[in-house]
Amino acid sequence: MNHVYLKTVVLSLVALLLLLSIDGEVSPADGSTPVASVKKVSGSVTVLRQGKTIQAINGLDIWEKDTLQTGRNGSIGIVFSDDTFLSMGPGSILTVDEFVFAPRQGKFSIVLRMLKGTAAYLSGLISKLSPDAAYFKTPTASIGIRGTRFLIKVDGE
Amino acid sequence: MKKWSIFILGSIFFCLMTGCATQQPKRDLIVLLPDPDGKVGTITVTTDGGSQVINKPGYSTEVENLNKTPTSPRQLNENEIKDIFASALSAQPDLSNRFLLFILFFENDSTKLTRESKDIFSEALKNIKTRNSNEVYVVGHTDLVGTESYNKELSSKRASYIRNLFVSSGIKPGTLFVSYYGKSRPLVSTEDETPEPRNRRVEVIIR
Repeated sequence: MNHVYLKTVVLSLVALLLLLSIDGEVSPADGSTPVASVKKVSGSVTVLRQGKTIQAINGLDIWEKDTLQTGRNGSIGIVFSDDTFLSMGPGSILTVDEFVFAPRQGKFSIVLRMLKGTAAYLSGLISKLSPDAAYFKTPTASIGIRGTRFLIKVDGE
Repeated sequence: MKKWSIFILGSIFFCLMTGCATQQPKRDLIVLLPDPDGKVGTITVTTDGGSQVINKPGYSTEVENLNKTPTSPRQLNENEIKDIFASALSAQPDLSNRFLLFILFFENDSTKLTRESKDIFSEALKNIKTRNSNEVYVVGHTDLVGTESYNKELSSKRASYIRNLFVSSGIKPGTLFVSYYGKSRPLVSTEDETPEPRNRRVEVIIR
C-alpha cells in the first residue's frame, strides 16, 4: 500500500516537472533555450557560443547570443521558432542579439546584427503579431521590418 | 618642432575619431523582395543621418556611412540581385512547412462576416484540422473610422467571435491565441476616418 502511494507521488512529481518544462516558452534573457534550428549548411560554417566554437550541422540548435560565421565557401539557412527564415552567403558574420517568441505572454522580439556578408531574411510570425518588434542591425544602419522579405549585403572593413 | 608634434598628434587623434579618411567607406545594400505569397511589406532603413522607407519589390537602398541618410530607392534588376545574393538565396530553407494565413473580412462596424469570408472561414477550419495544428493565432482589426478605444473594442469582439466559431466547430480552445489591435494596423494604409472594407478583418494564422 505504502509502496503504491510512493509510486504515485513520484509519478506525479515527474509529470509536474514534464509539464513545467513543456510549458516554459522561449525565455528572453538567459540565452539557454534554442531559438532557431539549422536547416541547410554547405561548406564551412561555425557557431560561436559562450566562447566556444561549434561546427554547424543540419539540425543544430541556435541560441540567443550565438554568432554564426560562414567560411569562404560556406553558406547556411536557419529557421527561427516563429518561422522567420534567415540564410547567409559566404564570408558572413551575424549575431542573434535578441529573440523572444512567447505568444502566451504576448512577448515578441527579434533583433539580428550583421557585421559583414550577405543574407536573405523572410519574416515570420513575430512580424505578423507585433510589427514593431523586428529589427536587423548593421554597424551603420538599423532596419525596421514590417512583415516582409529582403536581402542585405554588409561590407566589412 | 613642437608645433609639428602637436599637428601629428592632432592628426592621429582626428583619424581615430573619424575612423580615418583613407579607410574604405562601409556600405550596406538592402533590397526588398515580395513575400512568397506575393504580398509586399515595408522596410525602414535608419542611420544617424536619417531614414529611408522601401515598399516596392526589387527596390534597394544603400548606406554609405553612419551619418548619411540612406540613398533614395533604386530598382535592381534580377541579374544584379543574383550576382550579389545567389548563394544567400540558395541557402534558404524549404518554405513548404511555413504557417498559413487566412484573412476574414467583416461588414461595416459589426462582427458579421462578409459572404465570401464565410467560405474562407471553412477553408481555414479545414486546414487547422488537416494540419492537426495546435497553434492558431486569431488577430482582430478595424478600419480607421472612429476612436481608438472604440475600434480596439470592435477588433476584440471580431477576434473573439472567430475564436468562438472555431471552438464551436471542434477546435480545442488551448490551440487558439487571440489578439487585437483596433485601428492601429491597417492592411491598406488610409487617412484617418476613411471607411475601408479591406481593413475590417480578422487574420487567422495556422501553424
